[in-house]
Amino acid sequence: MHYEDMQADSAFGFDGNWKDFARIAVPNLLLTIVTLGIYRFWATTRERQYMWSHTRFVDERLEWTGTGKELFVGFVLVMLLFAIPVFGIQFVSQALVMRGYEAAGLVLGMLPLFAIFYLTGMARFRALRYRLSRTRWRGIRGGSNDQGLGYGVSYMWKTFVGYIALGLLIPWSMTSLWNERWSKMSFGPYEFNAHADSGNIFARFLLFYLSPIIFVVGGVIAAATGGLAGYGLGGEEGAGIGAMASFFILAIFFYFGLGVIAVAFYAKFYREAVGSTHWEDLHFSFEASTMDWIKLLIGDVLIVMFTLGLGFIFLSYRHWKFMIENLEASGDILLDELTQSTTKTAKHGEGLLDAFDIGAF
Amino acid sequence: MESSFRTPAQWYDGHNAIRHEGEAVWDGSGTLSLRGFSGEMDLPFADLVYGEHRGGEYVYRRSSEPDFRLILPEDLPPGLAAKLPAKHVYGGWIDKVGLGKASAAFAVVSIAAVALFMTAPEWLGPRVPQSWERNLGDAMVGDFGNRLCSTPEGDAALAKLLDAVDPDEVQVRAGVANIGMVNAVALPGGQVLLFDGLIQDAETPEELAGVLGHEVGHVRERHVMTALLRQFGLSILLSGANSGVGDTVFGLASMGYSRDAEREADAFARARMEESKVSPLGAARFFERIGGGGDEDADENSLTGWVASHPDPRERAKAFREAAKGKSFRPVLSESEFAAIKSMCEEDPDVEEFDFFF
Repeated sequence: MHYEDMQADSAFGFDGNWKDFARIAVPNLLLTIVTLGIYRFWATTRERQYMWSHTRFVDERLEWTGTGKELFVGFVLVMLLFAIPVFGIQFVSQALVMRGYEAAGLVLGMLPLFAIFYLTGMARFRALRYRLSRTRWRGIRGGSNDQGLGYGVSYMWKTFVGYIALGLLIPWSMTSLWNERWSKMSFGPYEFNAHADSGNIFARFLLFYLSPIIFVVGGVIAAATGGLAGYGLGGEEGAGIGAMASFFILAIFFYFGLGVIAVAFYAKFYREAVGSTHWEDLHFSFEASTMDWIKLLIGDVLIVMFTLGLGFIFLSYRHWKFMIENLEASGDILLDELTQSTTKTAKHGEGLLDAFDIGAF
Repeated sequence: MESSFRTPAQWYDGHNAIRHEGEAVWDGSGTLSLRGFSGEMDLPFADLVYGEHRGGEYVYRRSSEPDFRLILPEDLPPGLAAKLPAKHVYGGWIDKVGLGKASAAFAVVSIAAVALFMTAPEWLGPRVPQSWERNLGDAMVGDFGNRLCSTPEGDAALAKLLDAVDPDEVQVRAGVANIGMVNAVALPGGQVLLFDGLIQDAETPEELAGVLGHEVGHVRERHVMTALLRQFGLSILLSGANSGVGDTVFGLASMGYSRDAEREADAFARARMEESKVSPLGAARFFERIGGGGDEDADENSLTGWVASHPDPRERAKAFREAAKGKSFRPVLSESEFAAIKSMCEEDPDVEEFDFFF
């Protein structure tokens, strides 16, 4: 087998290239357009097959065994079980309001919002479960026996608690949900477990949390200084121009600075979360620095901009490559003990997740 | 073509992660024999399923053992390649007919589907039975109970006005809504509302007959159902964008018609008024007034609703004026009946506020 390009020193490697991926992604785009979007389930599957099969773990490639049909069925199920009832509830709630039961109508109208909140959490769980159960390595797959119903409840209350204390518990809710989600997953006979600690990312979070205040205070001072400098150069008129220029620079700084700090927090979170995730005797780590993330995101923006939007078809490829190249694992695997997973597998794909348009990892 | 050969092979049994390495041996029969240090097995060709093509290798699965994997090198002897299941790329029959033809076929079907979907309201709307529309309208809007103005004299006068423009056996339901805007709407289910603001603005009962006739026209020409279907279609397209039907019941009832539909409704009103010998000049005056004839004390804000969503009022006024030429008419309501409609909302002792929606 030929793995020369695949970072032999790392447990994970990726040997895809964008030209081969384009041979999949461009026809996918064409078929998706001419089928009014219906082909996208098969498109997603073909892209994943490519990405998985060019990903090496230790000495064997991954394999994606999901099918377009099951993604399509998942989507149709969501439409039948969720979208139509929501449509009906809106209809009934409006009819109640029309008849003068405003309160009842508004409460009923709120119901879908709660349902969406709950289902978002559940969908995130089930998508991870789906992806693990459709991933084969040496013929072995992963999965979970948990349906994710309880995780949906956790997602609701932990997210709520995270925001309620002025948002200061957001790091806790993020790590705690990560731990809960991964600890219910398994691959082969072994469970994953994760103990990400929010204490390790709190300092980064505070930086993100407090920076807007610092920016504003700093901004007022800078504007005053700019104004004074302008006054020195050009009198009253100069003062105005100076202050304006300072505000302008500040606004740019505010947007980009805050974005960068948000990325810095996320990068730290991801390192902490992946770094405290284990699978039997194997532990994982994620190496991407804030700079790596920024390069990834700026690259995304440039690719999409310079291809007039067409480049978006490469984003899934770029993100997968980024994940795999920064993922590390060390420890031992006993291959003869690594037996097939006994978890149940869902017959349908990640319909909910697809409907809500969120990612699994 | 050779009838037997051996080729290097790797396989996983699907039960554990141990890799078996050895040879795949074929003797010309219907089975492939896998021979290795760590085990051997025979595989019927019929049981093999194509998996994927990756980095110089083909992967095959077994239909009887879903997690079994056989990995063979890409450069297979042609005899064996012919026995193995064919590879597929796009999936299903797209591979059989080719990407170009499949895309063209999909495009034709899609364009037809879009065309059908876009035009559905126009041809489907008028074919929906009136009773269904009435049920749907009742479910959506209900009756307005106490929020419509009602006095015995006013109701009688309104019924007389309705008789003049809606001669059908089963009439639309008309009511006066306690809303100060100069507006009138036709709602799903054959329900027509004149707003009190419009009634106060009217100078003659013929004006009211014109507006009422116009809204009845929307109901009779099935514009309401068409607009409702259009709205349904839009909300299906935007599903997820949280577009409730109910939100827009009023919006669509007053705004959702095409200009052609408005002209049709006007024509309906003129025809009924002619049959009932009601003068169309009142309606003409009404349109001239809202069209910014300039001399009246029109409250411009309250008129924008009607003006914005309807054809040019001057053009409409002209059509109504021409309909009056060379004909004689009789008054549609007496002075006292007109006064009874004007005072309906004021004199209804327990009418409720209606402003919630607007």
